Amino acid sequence: MPGRVKVTPPELLPYGKIREDLFRPLSGLTKKYFIAILLPLLVILFGAYAWSVQLRYGMGVTGLHRPVFWGFYIVDFVFWIGISHAGTLISAILRLTDAGWRKPITRAAEAITVFALMIGGLFPIIHLGRAWRFYWLMPYPNSRLLWPNFRSPLLWDLTAICAYVTGSVIFLYLPLIPDMAQLAEHNTPWRRKLYKALSLGWTGSDTEWHALERAMKLMAGIILAVAVSVHTIVAWDFAMAIAPMWHSTIFGPYFVVGAIFSGLAGLMIVMALIRKLMGLELYLTKHHFDNLAKLLLLMSVLWLYFTLAEHITAWYGNDPSEMVVFGARTRTRFAFLFWLMVFVNFVVPFVLLGIRKLRSITTGVIASFGILLGMFLERYIIVVPTLSNTRLPAASSMSYLPSWVEIAITCATFAGMVVLYLLFSKLFPIIAVWEFKPHVAEDEL
Amino acid sequence: MAHRWGMAIDLDRCTGCEACVVACHAENNIPISTPEQAATGRTTHWLRVDRYYEGDFPDVKVKYMPVLCQQCDEAPCEPVCPTYATYHNPEGLNVQVYNRCVGTFYCANNCPYTVRYFNWFDPVWPEPMQLQHNPDVAVRMAGVMEKCTFCIQRIKRGKDESAASGQELADGDIQPACVQGCPAEAMVFGDLNDPESKVSRMAESSRATRLLEELGTKPKVFYLERGR
Amino acid sequence: MASITWLLSEFRDKDSVIDAIRALRAAGVQPGDLDLFSEEPLELPRGVLDRPSHSSLVAVLGAAAFGIGGTAFVWYAQHTYEVITGGMPVFSFWGTGVITYELTMLGAVLSTFGYFLFESGLVFKHGRLKRDKDAPVPVVPPEKIWVRVRCEGGNTVRPTAALQEAGAVSIEAKTGAGL
Repeated sequence: MPGRVKVTPPELLPYGKIREDLFRPLSGLTKKYFIAILLPLLVILFGAYAWSVQLRYGMGVTGLHRPVFWGFYIVDFVFWIGISHAGTLISAILRLTDAGWRKPITRAAEAITVFALMIGGLFPIIHLGRAWRFYWLMPYPNSRLLWPNFRSPLLWDLTAICAYVTGSVIFLYLPLIPDMAQLAEHNTPWRRKLYKALSLGWTGSDTEWHALERAMKLMAGIILAVAVSVHTIVAWDFAMAIAPMWHSTIFGPYFVVGAIFSGLAGLMIVMALIRKLMGLELYLTKHHFDNLAKLLLLMSVLWLYFTLAEHITAWYGNDPSEMVVFGARTRTRFAFLFWLMVFVNFVVPFVLLGIRKLRSITTGVIASFGILLGMFLERYIIVVPTLSNTRLPAASSMSYLPSWVEIAITCATFAGMVVLYLLFSKLFPIIAVWEFKPHVAEDEL
Repeated sequence: MAHRWGMAIDLDRCTGCEACVVACHAENNIPISTPEQAATGRTTHWLRVDRYYEGDFPDVKVKYMPVLCQQCDEAPCEPVCPTYATYHNPEGLNVQVYNRCVGTFYCANNCPYTVRYFNWFDPVWPEPMQLQHNPDVAVRMAGVMEKCTFCIQRIKRGKDESAASGQELADGDIQPACVQGCPAEAMVFGDLNDPESKVSRMAESSRATRLLEELGTKPKVFYLERGR
Repeated sequence: MASITWLLSEFRDKDSVIDAIRALRAAGVQPGDLDLFSEEPLELPRGVLDRPSHSSLVAVLGAAAFGIGGTAFVWYAQHTYEVITGGMPVFSFWGTGVITYELTMLGAVLSTFGYFLFESGLVFKHGRLKRDKDAPVPVVPPEKIWVRVRCEGGNTVRPTAALQEAGAVSIEAKTGAGL
């Protein structure tokens, strides 16, 4: 590796420059920035209008029908929760193994986690027939004299996502504290107030550093366990149902692998964007993208392995109702989507990232977009064919297509990610400055 | 002894006339779908008559099968509902409590018989059909799931009348709308806990079978296969 | 009312800080009277200036408390309004197990975070942090390390000598009213 790609470890840059480079993007608002925020805001506004239409008239404005009761919203839900696994996995695993190359990318990844969770967490509410009653899933003493049904996988979802959001917000917040304390030193008045309040009067004493490092180590372990369980539970929403091709034991790990896969792809795109837009070429180097590309390849193989295992067992089992779904996925109605998914999730990454000569940041981004599409399709292919091919053949129905409402809301969530990320990167350094700067005599330990 | 309501449907007698479907619509205030809704798969029939075709035209045989909620003893829809909108009542019925339903769709996805129906919009009836609403049955709002109740309002009325008159409920005193409306008398409703009831005896028949029995849902609707 | 003198001294590198701490300890300064300030975490070899912590234990206890409490709550909730399930268990080991797991993890997260806030003294000052809450805090420039020594009763001679010997760039003394 080192012989081929010339790596200038950013750790060797003078600290003053690092600090200046990483804090600079926070100040100054350009016209471009406003446009970049305004356009997605319009998309969000339209999505909000679409949702208001759905709330006003009912779920009939979607493309859902009997028996396809779950569609784009559930696909979106699984997709975004999947994206959220970028942060925790990259950041927690690499932190626990103390991989040095993680340093410039942990915060970017952790921020993806928090925002993707916020967005993904909306979909279980959006997809409800009576969304204004979503809080009936919460356990609280109420006039219905009824507690929620804790045996329902939806309650598992609720607890898992609550635990995950809490954990990942704290996981993002903890390493921000020292950076915010620095930012509070010289800044505009309102920003100084903000950073001062958020950094809780951090002084940089060794007591505080010790506490922070211990907390981060513990959190990395805990968040890893939570992340794996969250996507397992998302998978169990399907696997607990006795629907053909859903009732599968490997769904848990299959979904976790898919989640990490799409999360890494999302991270790759976000990193390429902030590198370009914030001029951080010195900090997010080809080395980082190279490592990410290798991780992507690994996940691609794992994903293919699980997809194969899932389908080959169904095919050999030859259960009639499963075979109908199997046929719909691979041979008839959904075959094009299925093979497109295999193409963009496996073939494209291996050509673009597996062949050394072709591997670059640009091809990495292209492959990542393909993977995001492929993973979106994967969830669609899991949700829809099973539902539209019922066990009683007479109840099967025509195919499901999303309506403009579902598409608008889906687009709005992507726009929401852009806006949240732009706001975050204006308020907080997207690379953890204190983690990144040259460590005094570190090698003498 | 508590009742355990069940139904037997003799497929040999069923002519596929769909009188049961009409009766069910009238009894349970089920909205009537427009052709456009039907085209998008948004029909609501708590009881539907599935058709299966055998052979090629012109030598076609059509087989009819009225499918309604099977009132499973171990209903897959029940454990997945987060709000207990669907649960088991003491008489073994799967009850759908509309007021508790938030519309997660999970029950419908987990129903192997696909007999759960959703209110995509607030229901509307073409004039003057709104005048014939049954006052004993709630009209369901947009966003909630609904399904066959075995005409629970009729069961309740039957039990109330028997309590008021002091007369024991006799087999056949309570009839859901579909059973009452079936001209071929293909459907029989009664108490499975009463070994002498007609439905119990039909359930014992060698022709009796249950839909997708292999899933272990223990349905309380028995189908009597066609004689061969 | 003993008067307290704070010695604030700047160092350039970690090695001299380690020397300084060793010398100060030899001069009779307690670890609780020593504070380091830096813009980055300082990893000192074991035995130089250990700050014992109970964070792992607290995390485990918090996890256990949430897990057990959550499970008990689910049990209570499922039994206060018993629903007839037609043979299926109201309170199931398998179903509740998932909730128990998630709440255990939530407990670990919250107790870790809570204990961080407590231990670091950021929100709640306690023990020596409360005692020293009015102590001067140096503004640390990048790549520098400051050592703060608390000297009771103006007894600064030996600590100052220790700091100088270890290679302090500057030493200043600030006197304030202590406890």
